[in-house]
Amino acid sequence: MNIIETQNLTKTYGDFTAVSHLNLHIRKGRVYGFLGPNGAGKSTTMKMFLGLTHPTKGSFQIDGKTYPADRVPILKEIGSFIEAPAFYGNLTGEENLEIIRKILGLPKSSVSDALELVGLTQFRKRLAKKYSLGMKQRLGLAGALIGRPPILILDEPTNGLDPVGIHEIRTLIKSLPQQYDCTVLVSSHLLPEVELMADDIGILNHGRLLFEGTMEELKTNARCAGLPTDNLEDTFLAMIDEDNRKGGAGK
Amino acid sequence: MNFFSLIGVEFKKIRRSKILLILLIPVIIMWIPSIINADMNFDTRGIPITPENNFFIQGFMGMVWFMIPASLVVCTVLLIQTERANKGILKMLSLPVNTAKLCLAKFAVLILLAFAQMVMTIAAYYICAAIVSQMQNYNFFLDPLYVCRVTLSIYAGAIPMAAVFWMIANLITTPVFSVGIGLASIVPSVLIINTKIWFAYPMSYPFYLLMVEYGRCAEGIYETQIAWLPWLPAAALITVVALGIACVRFGAAERR
Amino acid sequence: MTLRLETKKLKRTRYFPAFLAGGLLAAAFPLINMLVRSESFTALPGEPFTILMDANWQMMAMLNILVCICGACMMYHTEYADNGAQKMDVLPVRAGKLFLTKFVVNALALALMIILETAALTWCAVHWFSGYEFDALELLQGAGFQWFVTLPTVMLMLVIASACKNMWVSLGIGVVLVFTMCIFPQDNLILSLCPFSSPYQTLAMAAESSRVPLFLGVCAAEVVVLGLLGLVYQKIRRCAE
Repeated sequence: MNIIETQNLTKTYGDFTAVSHLNLHIRKGRVYGFLGPNGAGKSTTMKMFLGLTHPTKGSFQIDGKTYPADRVPILKEIGSFIEAPAFYGNLTGEENLEIIRKILGLPKSSVSDALELVGLTQFRKRLAKKYSLGMKQRLGLAGALIGRPPILILDEPTNGLDPVGIHEIRTLIKSLPQQYDCTVLVSSHLLPEVELMADDIGILNHGRLLFEGTMEELKTNARCAGLPTDNLEDTFLAMIDEDNRKGGAGK
Repeated sequence: MNFFSLIGVEFKKIRRSKILLILLIPVIIMWIPSIINADMNFDTRGIPITPENNFFIQGFMGMVWFMIPASLVVCTVLLIQTERANKGILKMLSLPVNTAKLCLAKFAVLILLAFAQMVMTIAAYYICAAIVSQMQNYNFFLDPLYVCRVTLSIYAGAIPMAAVFWMIANLITTPVFSVGIGLASIVPSVLIINTKIWFAYPMSYPFYLLMVEYGRCAEGIYETQIAWLPWLPAAALITVVALGIACVRFGAAERR
Repeated sequence: MTLRLETKKLKRTRYFPAFLAGGLLAAAFPLINMLVRSESFTALPGEPFTILMDANWQMMAMLNILVCICGACMMYHTEYADNGAQKMDVLPVRAGKLFLTKFVVNALALALMIILETAALTWCAVHWFSGYEFDALELLQGAGFQWFVTLPTVMLMLVIASACKNMWVSLGIGVVLVFTMCIFPQDNLILSLCPFSSPYQTLAMAAESSRVPLFLGVCAAEVVVLGLLGLVYQKIRRCAE
């Protein structure tokens, strides 16, 4: 069953097309890796899901609900982390989460729970503006995970983290569907990373979907197309490269 | 989520901003010249006014003309900037709250801050009246009921102006500009107060109310009756329209 | 070259439109005043230009000051907001030179504003006062004086803006200073010589009490002293960080 589905989702800014006729199918209880180079339209798509920007054309359903009519009900189900870091600098990490908790109407314990989950408990009393980049990133993640929502939308969650942190967060994301029975949509521009986390992947280039399916399907697909398959990174690069040559740059 | 707890959340967001201190400074500054020139209160330059009333009106004059509007401008900027500085607003927009409600909660915080400043002003007035009474050996105290009534009416008169400033802050995303426009809009209120269209200019309302009070204390200075009729509907209309626009535009820049 | 660079940095900050808008708004004061109640001014005895200045300059000067505050804040905000200043610090340019260039840009923008305002006042004088004689030199002197007595304010505001990384602090200080200086009585000579207060002084007022040289001298001294303060601060800031 698809929990998020899009039909010809398109977003243009002036004469620039950020997302073009996107048809995504994100299955419930899976980790969906959203892959593409910088500027491919990953963030824009995620922002549309969150109502942070209006689609120019097309539509999408999240758990059977549509935007903009069901904006608030949709947002109630989603924990999100977009264009990090978004927080209030004059507040401590804990206070930042406290604000989110109040708005979501969650029990008091959820704040410490979220802090624990991302490993910020130690720094909860520090002002968010004094946080390091990695800590800000973790705070953003905590803001998404708080209350354990059924859908998680994470935009490049491992940006700015050190190798240990990347590993930690990756393991956490991978374990989420089993632990809390949730669906995760996670974006990245690194294929190895997606490979380690995701069950399904969608590859985006210049706003268009190049591939959607499981990791296995990707490999089969690539083999048929005559692309290198022994290393997935090369597969990805070759795919993007070929698309760009075909005029995927398109403008 | 209920509106009052949302206001609570908004207050939480401005913790450590020292806004109350910022609001207190002008209140103190405004009374310093009144204390220094305490003896001037007896020199009424032929205006039929009692020294204690003179002290009160002169002290409040700078407040209503410049300081209330300027404080409001500073507060709006603070409220908007806390959201924008680290993109906190993006997080807010992706949470299940009604944006219009969020916008109105922020406006409520704005006028509550103004209220806090009014309370400080009354306190400062009594402290200064005590000091001046001691210095001049003359009773400068006015009836607390009267002082509170005048201050409250001035406060109520400042609400449409607050709504307009809030609208400006939401419409103009370059903060320096919204401040610039806000501050510049204060200057002409001295001029407009003497014209027939004063009721169309919310920045002059508090000033107008004080001038009417002046007129009542000193005959012939100004009108003694508040012209409710064109004013009240105009003020209500301006407030509603300004808040409406603010709610529609709230977070619009972040939701392109 | 620095001047061109500094102007370039202000691109898209709408710095110049701000000064232009401020100037136009200030220029509108005498026009509106005359449109609404010209007879109460034309009946007054004395120089037409002086009458107009007396009636309008307080508000116009206040606008000038407010625009200067915003301008200075904007300039240093672009420096500090995205750590542009940090980049400048590691480039082979003198922070002091940048500071002085910013002052020059601000002073020029202010000159533009005052020219606009003088033009509006002159037009009012020509249009409504029959006895007015156009004298370019006199006008130039008046505008020059008004410009010069505003310079200490510009300089002080730049010093404040350069010292505060957070624009709201400098803006707040500026607004409080404007307010403080305009509620203190204007007849006090020492106070009227201070930055934020001297711009209210008109040439006619100063000439009447033969204080023109005094004002020019004191303002020049203030600019120099405050400028030095700013330069020293730029040095300290670099070392302290």
